[in-house]
Amino acid sequence: MAVTDQVAGEGGGKPLMSIGMRRMINHAAIFLTLIALWEFGSRIGWLDPLFYPRPTAILESFWRIYVTQANVWHHLYVSLGLVFIGFAAGSILGVGLGALVGFNPVVRRFLQPYVIVLEATPRIAVAPLLIAALGFGAPPKIAIIMLVCFFAPFINTLSGVVNVNEEKLELFRSMGASKMQTLRKLVLPEAVPVIMAGERLALTAALSGVLVAEFILRDQGIGALILTYTRNLNMASAFACIFTLTIIGFLIFKGMEVLDHRIAFWNHSDATDRMSEKRARAWGNLTGGRNV
Amino acid sequence: MSDATIASKEPKPLYLRLVPHIGLFLLILLLWEIAVVTDVIATIMIPKPTAIMGAIWELYVTEGTIYSHFFITLFEAVAGFMIGAAIAISLAVSSSLSETFKRYVTPYAVVLNVTPGIALTPVVIAWFGYGMGSKVALAAIISFFPIFVNTLTGLTKIDREREELFRSLGASHRDIFTKLRVPAALPLMFAGLKIGLTTALIGAVVAEFAQATAGVGVLMNRFSFQLDMASSIATLLSMTVMGLLMFYSMEFLDDRIVFWRREARRAAASRARARAWEAGLK
Repeated sequence: MAVTDQVAGEGGGKPLMSIGMRRMINHAAIFLTLIALWEFGSRIGWLDPLFYPRPTAILESFWRIYVTQANVWHHLYVSLGLVFIGFAAGSILGVGLGALVGFNPVVRRFLQPYVIVLEATPRIAVAPLLIAALGFGAPPKIAIIMLVCFFAPFINTLSGVVNVNEEKLELFRSMGASKMQTLRKLVLPEAVPVIMAGERLALTAALSGVLVAEFILRDQGIGALILTYTRNLNMASAFACIFTLTIIGFLIFKGMEVLDHRIAFWNHSDATDRMSEKRARAWGNLTGGRNV
Repeated sequence: MSDATIASKEPKPLYLRLVPHIGLFLLILLLWEIAVVTDVIATIMIPKPTAIMGAIWELYVTEGTIYSHFFITLFEAVAGFMIGAAIAISLAVSSSLSETFKRYVTPYAVVLNVTPGIALTPVVIAWFGYGMGSKVALAAIISFFPIFVNTLTGLTKIDREREELFRSLGASHRDIFTKLRVPAALPLMFAGLKIGLTTALIGAVVAEFAQATAGVGVLMNRFSFQLDMASSIATLLSMTVMGLLMFYSMEFLDDRIVFWRREARRAAASRARARAWEAGLK
C-alpha cells in the first residue's frame, strides 16, 4: 500500500529524493571527503601519523580496545560508575540546599557573597586539594564530581524558586491559595524546567570532573587510559577513547532531553499534548466512557 | 521631625549593611580556628584560617612567588579565550549570513560540544608541548562553544516584526545586519563571552595540572602533593581573584558596549550624543 502510494507520488512529478535525504547525502559526502583528505594527507606525509593518527588507525584502535583487547570496558565502568554516584549525590545536595536557601530570605542574603566567590573560583581547581585531603581511590574522585555537580543545580533551584512571577503570585494570594497549593501549582511548575537545565549542566560537568580527577591520580578510568595512551604516543587509541566520550556525551545529552520531556512535560508543547491525551483517556475510563 | 522619618525610611548606608555580613564571616573563621585547634577537624584535611592567612602573606608578600605564576595563567586563559572567541564569532557570523554554511558547520560544533573538552588535555599537550602553547590551545577549545552558540542564537533569532519593518522601509541587507541583527545579538553574545572566559580559565588550569612548568595550577598541584594545605588554599584563593577579575572586566565591557540594556548607561549615552549633535550644529 505504502509502496504504491510512493510510486504514485513519484509519478506525479515529485523530485526523486526529498530535500532531507539529499542533505543527508551531502553531509555524508563532506564528512567522508574530510576523512579521506586526512587519511591521504597522513599517508603522503603532510601529517605526522605519530601525532595525528589516521582515521583507519583510529578505527583499528576502536576494534582493539573494544573487541580484541577489550580493556576499555573496565575503565568505562569505573569512570561512569563514579560519575553517576557523584552526580546523584552532588545534584541532590544542590537541589536540596537550593530550595532551602531559596525559601529563606535571611539565609539567602547571608549566603550570597559566598556563592559569588565560589562561582568565580574554577571548581575543578580544588581537585588536587581534595586528593591530598582524601587520599587515593574512589573517595576523592566522588568528592570532586560532587563539587562540580553541586553548583548548577544549586543556582538554578535557587533562581527557579525565587523568580516566581509576581502577578501570578498575587493572583494565587487573592484567591486564597494555601502555601502548599502555591508551592505545588505555581512555584514547582515554574522552577522544575530551570532545575532540569541545571541538572543537564551538572551531568556534563560530572564527566569533566571525573576526567580531571583521573588525570591527576593516573590510576584507572577512562581519563587515566587517555593519559597513558598519549604518554605512549599511541594517539590512535587515545582518539578512540575520546570519540567514546563524544558518544557518551551525546547519549547523556539526549538522555537528559528525554528526561526533561518526561519530568517537565508542561514545558514542551508536544509532551503536553501527549500528557493531556493520556489524562483524558484516564478520565474517560473513570467516568465509564461517557463523553465529558 | 519630618527629616528624621525620611532618613529612617532610606536604605541603610553600605557600611552599616556590611556589618552583619562581616560579623558572620569573622564568627565562622573563629569557630573554624577553634575547631582545628581543639582537633575537631584534622589539620591535615583543613588548615587553620590563621595558617591560610600566613600562607597568603608568604605567597604574596615575603616570597612573592605567586605573581609570576598568576600572570602566566592569566595570560594563557585570556589568550586562549581570545583565540576561541575570534574563531567562534567569525564562524557564528558566517553561519548567520549563509544558511548553507550554517547547515554544514553545526554538526561539527555539536560534536565538539558533547565531547568533554577536558578529555583532549593529554592530546593537546602532545601536540603543543609542555609550555604555554598547550594551555592556550585547551583554553581556546573549551571556550569556543558557549560563545559560538550564543552569538549564533542572538544573530538568527530576531524579531520577525522588526525585520518586516526594516524591509518595508527599504533597508539593505547590510543595514539589517548592522542595525538589527548585531544589536539584538550583542547581549546574548556577551553572556556567552562571560561563560567562555570562565571556562578558558578552567582549561588553562586543568592543562597545568596535567603537565606544566609554571602557572597557578602547577603551584596548586605542588603544594597539595607536599600536603601543604594552607598554601594550597591560598593558591586557590588567587584563582578566585583571577575569576572575579575576569568576570567583572567582562561585566564592565558588557556595560559599556551593550549600553542600551541598562537605564542609567543609556541615558548617559544619549546625553553624550545630544551634546555631540548640538556641537555639530553650531
